[in-house]
Amino acid sequence: MSAALAPDVVLSAVVGGVDTGVVLQASDWEFVYRNRRFLLLGAGVTVALTLTSVVLGLLAGLPAGIVEVYGTGPVAGAVRRTGVLLRGTPILVILAFTFFVNPVNLGAFEAATLGLGLRSAAYQSQIFRGAIQSVGGGQMEAARSVGMSQYEAIRHVVVPQALRRSIPGFQNEFTIVLKDTSVAFFIGLAELITRGFNLFTQPGQSESVLEVILAVSAVYFVLTVLTNQGLELLGRRFAIPGTGGER
Amino acid sequence: MSLLEFEDVHQSYGDEEVLRGISFGMDRSDVEVVIGPSGSGKSTMLRCVNRLTDIDSGTIYLDGEPVTTPETDVNDLRRRVGMVFQDFNLFAHRTALGNVTLGLREVLDYSKEEARAEATSQLERVGLADQADSYPAELSGGQKQRVGIARALAMDPELMLFDEPTSALDPELIGEVLRVMRDLAEEGMTMLCVTHEMGFARSAASTISFLDEGRVVERGPPEQLFEAPEHERTGEFLERLTSLHGGQQG
Repeated sequence: MSAALAPDVVLSAVVGGVDTGVVLQASDWEFVYRNRRFLLLGAGVTVALTLTSVVLGLLAGLPAGIVEVYGTGPVAGAVRRTGVLLRGTPILVILAFTFFVNPVNLGAFEAATLGLGLRSAAYQSQIFRGAIQSVGGGQMEAARSVGMSQYEAIRHVVVPQALRRSIPGFQNEFTIVLKDTSVAFFIGLAELITRGFNLFTQPGQSESVLEVILAVSAVYFVLTVLTNQGLELLGRRFAIPGTGGER
Repeated sequence: MSLLEFEDVHQSYGDEEVLRGISFGMDRSDVEVVIGPSGSGKSTMLRCVNRLTDIDSGTIYLDGEPVTTPETDVNDLRRRVGMVFQDFNLFAHRTALGNVTLGLREVLDYSKEEARAEATSQLERVGLADQADSYPAELSGGQKQRVGIARALAMDPELMLFDEPTSALDPELIGEVLRVMRDLAEEGMTMLCVTHEMGFARSAASTISFLDEGRVVERGPPEQLFEAPEHERTGEFLERLTSLHGGQQG
């Protein structure tokens, strides 16, 4: 890692330490501006990786959450243990497994999707588990009492309500995945952080580190705000009338 | 032959035996009201009929067939037995109409149009056709419970179970629910009701059972239990209930 990235350097720059030489400079903003396309391409990769990871996390996490609530026997046990394992493993280790020591040779994007997606599934399963449990047993009993099978009751009564209740937790998870796509830096994927790093490590550009980092952060911030607003809207769109959620 | 019959039914939660040998039978179109102190096993008794709770021993027969065997098709049994809950348990994410159509669509495989038509007529039956598009959170307690009844009726059940259907209601809303139940009774629906509404019990029940500590202490037509109970305990309990819940005639 470059010396320019050391925390004390960035910190002293933020608090205005002049001895490091890292200060905001017009020429460095111009450098960022000149490379905007390069950075935006990275932002595109970040967005794409966020979407594929969150979707994988949803596709695996929702069934896992359902199994954790209603499942019995060895399958449910295996799902629970897999979740514990994934939540208990650092994301860089997970990426090392999906990229470096994976017997199937995956590209960096696929390996990052798999790693971030599986970890997100482990977290999302807990969001859905909590939401399902909050729906309450009475809904299940009512559905079963008209003769629906457990599957039909889960699908038509429990899950539609649980998904609505998952939105706040899902908002969190979405923004966490969005920012954690930056760990794909570790396997060399040319996403936003990687590209930012590539910029200020160019010869003679080490003084632009603060400007680059701020620009990159701003992109993450804007994406996060947009995501949150989008999901907020989704929540209001699907709020159940009379429950106060639709505003 | 009885439509519903309990034969020495026992049921426990852990170490606690809730039902200690329940035996009785109801004929078609009977209205049986079950009363008894809290914890006497009334709700458990109802829940055993549609297998929301499984029994430990004994047998329950519906229309002559045992329904407490491992071979029983539980979903089919539940389709044939309607249940109305104390706290309604309406599907919160569906409109009143949607609550009624769901079972028709999923269990009876009605088409969308058929389900809509049938559900509308069931809502009319409970006087709620004008609330078809309201969500449960937009309805009063009495309206919710009437939707709950319509939802159960739509499955064309042979027997209806009512688990304290008015206990969660404000007093002024009890009457509209009892009125629907009374209409049903008059139409000849077979009903097994756990309720403390003594006005309803006195006028609509064909039989009242007094349950205490998991046993049927006394059972008979309302006049007998109200006027000349055999057990002192029955008389005391009825007197207390009547002073608390006797007013609503429905």
